[in-house]
Amino acid sequence: MQALKDLCYTPYFGVVLSIFMYQIGVFVSHKLKNPVANPLLIAVILIIAFLKIFRIPMEAFQTGGDLITLFLAPATAALAVPIYKNLQILKHNLLPILAGTLVGSFCSMAVIFALCKLFGLDETLTASLLSKSVTTPIAMGVTEQLGGIVPISIAAVIFTGIVGSIVAPLMVKLFRVDDPVAQGIGIGTCSHAVGTTRAIAMGELQGAMSGIAIGLAGFFTVLWAFLFAILL
Amino acid sequence: MKIMMQLAIIFFICLLGEAIAAVLPFPFPASVISMLLVFGLLLWGPLKVYHIRKQTDFLLDNMAFFFIPPAVSIVENLHYMEGKLLILIFICFISTFTTFAITAWTVKAMIKLDEKRKERKKRHASA
Repeated sequence: MQALKDLCYTPYFGVVLSIFMYQIGVFVSHKLKNPVANPLLIAVILIIAFLKIFRIPMEAFQTGGDLITLFLAPATAALAVPIYKNLQILKHNLLPILAGTLVGSFCSMAVIFALCKLFGLDETLTASLLSKSVTTPIAMGVTEQLGGIVPISIAAVIFTGIVGSIVAPLMVKLFRVDDPVAQGIGIGTCSHAVGTTRAIAMGELQGAMSGIAIGLAGFFTVLWAFLFAILL
Repeated sequence: MKIMMQLAIIFFICLLGEAIAAVLPFPFPASVISMLLVFGLLLWGPLKVYHIRKQTDFLLDNMAFFFIPPAVSIVENLHYMEGKLLILIFICFISTFTTFAITAWTVKAMIKLDEKRKERKKRHASA
């Protein structure tokens, strides 16, 4: 029994468990084709259940988890590539795109800040929620900077992404947004990469715009965070 | 380019990002600095998309996988959210709608403004 426990503390355990559960998540989400069946959400639930059932301590899992997390910063850096690839469209609509993501990311944080104050949530929770509209690795950075709890931030980011990808077509109709550039930038700014999958389904231009908005809204959110750090 | 070299390039840029973040007088996420570095190097020219393409495609296609470990840690932080779950869900819903509306309207307004400006320029040129 002790030998088995020691095995769980090797980094291989966490890495193998994560890949395996993630593949199940990808498979299920392909089968169901429903935005709620998000591969990450499924993987996280399965892993937590696995650790609980076999009473494996979190530190054991995270020995391998640290290896995976190592790739988060490189993945964020990679977000620059889709922006560069769409440089022509970006240049053609430079002002609308920059203004949209700049104003949009401020609005997101301002609304969250106001609602948190309204409901009397404490500083830590507010700091964990403020960056929830942007892509996970950037939201993690902002949350750390503001003194929030990173895992809560991630949960809020994923939840927002799923909401965004479900309601995207509804929002387009509700707010009468007929321009594909405005649609894509709006979706990418309010629901990052998860919403972008829906934007890609709506059209190539919407998808490209949404992809650009992930990196830009993330960048602007980091800048606005300096303002909200003072207000917190 | 070989996958090993591509990985080395991206990791090296991330190392530079960490170094810059360490000397900046204010806290700034190192990963975002690395993103700016990649974008700057692509614009400037020494770095080409094909230098890093295989690696960045791998990272972007599997992005969600890399959040698994920090996301799993949520079980250790559930007590922070006790009794506040509905409020948190409500906040996520409302802010998603308002952010989409404001962003999309801003883009639309700016596109109109841009078109008007271009038209005025054209009229100016023809007159």
